[in-house]
Amino acid sequence: MNSLGLALAIIGAACASLFAGIGSAKGVGLVGEAAAGVVSVDPNKFSKVLILQLLPGTQGLYGLLTAILMLRKVGVLGGDVVSLTTAQGLMFLAAAMPIAIVGLFSGIAQGRAAAAGVGITAKKPEHNGKGIIMAAMVETYAILALLVSILIINNIAI
Amino acid sequence: MSTKYASAVAAVKAMETTLLTGSDIEQLINARTLKETEALLAAKKTPGSSLSDVWEMLRSSAPDSRELKILLYRNDFHNLKAVLKAKLSNRDPSVYYVEPSNVTLEDLDHGISSKDYSGLPEYLREPAEEAYELLTRTLDGQLSDSLIDAASLNAMQRDAADFGGSFMQRYAVLTTVCADIKTAYRCSIMKKSRSFLETAICGSPELDKESLIRAAQSGTDTLFRYLEDTAYSGAAELLKTSPAQFEKWCDDVIMEHAESARMQAFGPEPLAAYYIAKEAEIKDVRIIKVCKECGTDTETIMERMRKLYV
Repeated sequence: MNSLGLALAIIGAACASLFAGIGSAKGVGLVGEAAAGVVSVDPNKFSKVLILQLLPGTQGLYGLLTAILMLRKVGVLGGDVVSLTTAQGLMFLAAAMPIAIVGLFSGIAQGRAAAAGVGITAKKPEHNGKGIIMAAMVETYAILALLVSILIINNIAI
Repeated sequence: MSTKYASAVAAVKAMETTLLTGSDIEQLINARTLKETEALLAAKKTPGSSLSDVWEMLRSSAPDSRELKILLYRNDFHNLKAVLKAKLSNRDPSVYYVEPSNVTLEDLDHGISSKDYSGLPEYLREPAEEAYELLTRTLDGQLSDSLIDAASLNAMQRDAADFGGSFMQRYAVLTTVCADIKTAYRCSIMKKSRSFLETAICGSPELDKESLIRAAQSGTDTLFRYLEDTAYSGAAELLKTSPAQFEKWCDDVIMEHAESARMQAFGPEPLAAYYIAKEAEIKDVRIIKVCKECGTDTETIMERMRKLYV
């Protein structure tokens, strides 16, 4: 068994969940701060700002999904570990990069957009939906990155 | 743009909904009596009805209030004037002390009584010492007031340049321009000496100190002509017709500047803008109440109303 190939694949899985998770944590944290500011003045707006706070959390989930798919494919989950060449390991590492990198930056960017959306909710609660839509636009790029990562993982021949 | 202010800005955005709107002001003006005006105001549930409450909220929610403190410099320097004069005339300074302020009455009182200014903020130390010296030497309250006013504008501009953003820098410049025009106009009417003007006028990148002094010394017509050639020609026009309208113009210019921060989602600017907005609202309410008490007609009150933030 080429242990380097498997190690690279595991590093890829770790990167996917790590960086996308960091992006989400930063984004959710930022919106949480803004939301707390609004709720401190008007507690009735809690449910509206909560939706905005949830939005940047999806990148972390995409990273987790990518990591699980990779770990299943290489048999780390399920107990039947397959033998990987170094090239295959690098392919898995490359497969993790789209969601790892885009997840990190889009999580932070979505957090900023959603935090600005909290301002809309604070001032004009009836326009809350517009804030959600604007923040959700950032999600497109995280979904595209997830798609690319999944496509690569599924097409790596082992 | 700093996301450090995310929480404070969101809280301020929520509070902006409680500011009085144009139609609220109209309602207050159209009230038949002062009592009715007061009842209408009481019905409006506004968090933090005094500027001190607003300042306390902003200070506690801002992660760094150093830049915002510049907004209170005018009050700090006013308090310095008040305590200086009260001390020298054996009166109680607390009557003249205004809040909110960055410096407590006790610190000012102690600093001036003991002539040990080290307990005062850095920007107050030198002006306090100079003004005390000047006042005790000349007994000219007007000159010492002018010195303190110019020092306050200088401190605002300097500190805004040192640790403020472009919003606060512009605020400091606009405040200085308005104050300098007012001073130049008054000094021109009173035919004040050049040395007095040099002490009283601060100067700014937009209105050169030397040119303003020269224009003021040559009489009001020359001053108006000078202002007409600057970006503040509108101010000259108003000064000619009504100094009260000029005062309103000064407040409106600051409010227009504050409005530029309304769209910002992060940073200290929306906090500063909210303070300026609350200041204007309190001023408007005060004008309405005084006018109602004096029985001023609705049209005149309308003319005196400052621009609102919302």
